[in-house]
Amino acid sequence: MPTPSRWMIKASMLYMLAGFAIGALILISKVYPEYSSVWSLLSVHIEVSIFGWIIQLTMGTAYWILPRYLKTKSRGNPRLALAMVGMLNFGILINVASYLNILPPSATIVGRLLEVGAVVLFIALHWNRAVSYNT
Amino acid sequence: MPRIARVFIKTGLIYFLVSLLLGLAAEFNWLQFPGIVPLFWHLLMVGWITQIIFGVSVWMFPGRTREEGFKAQIWGWLTYIFLNLGLILRLIAEPATYLVTGLLWNVLIVISAVSQVVAAVTYIIELWPRIQSKEQRRRQRKKKRQKAKSEK
Repeated sequence: MPTPSRWMIKASMLYMLAGFAIGALILISKVYPEYSSVWSLLSVHIEVSIFGWIIQLTMGTAYWILPRYLKTKSRGNPRLALAMVGMLNFGILINVASYLNILPPSATIVGRLLEVGAVVLFIALHWNRAVSYNT
Repeated sequence: MPRIARVFIKTGLIYFLVSLLLGLAAEFNWLQFPGIVPLFWHLLMVGWITQIIFGVSVWMFPGRTREEGFKAQIWGWLTYIFLNLGLILRLIAEPATYLVTGLLWNVLIVISAVSQVVAAVTYIIELWPRIQSKEQRRRQRKKKRQKAKSEK
């Protein structure tokens, strides 16, 4: 399994744990309203569960499992792949920091832009790998 | 496909249908019940998407044990049990908490919440060591072979 995939899959598991843990607190607060302040973490719960867990795991697995280039046997430029990993995770972390009021609310624009950048790189890296080996 | 993957995937398919039926019911006032919208989303994202990810990854990711059975695949089965215990308890207890008050429902909600977190932990215990490069896998296999030889 290539390095970008390993990083993405392992990061996605950590995000899943964080997402599940926050979700558990929110669920418990429904029956114990004295802990309702955890509802302020709802945006973090959604961000880490959707982008951190599901989207990241899908991207990491696709980078590993889609067919490699026939001639070079590579998965494309590894630096671009690492940039994709970095951009996606910086984007998620910036958004989380913004939701936690560590960064201003407008920081989510940067976070989302980084996520868009990661998706553009993902498409660029995989577009020509979605092929059939039959001629 | 190993039994655990089949069970994960088939259970996920049932949640897929149930979640979409809940989503459909939420569109009609006379079919709605309290808490239907969060249930719809969680059965879809956890019951279906996460469950199918778990099922396919325990099967397709490198380094799985070929031996069937609860003991041989303990972390995978514990993941399945805790995830679905959590989901089913939520499905029952969450609407109930809107209708009646009682310690029982509160306890079931807490068990549901904790159970799903435990499932996340057991899944990570199963999968984390299997996320390896080819070189790491080769070294691990070599070590295993050497260990087996020395035991003979």
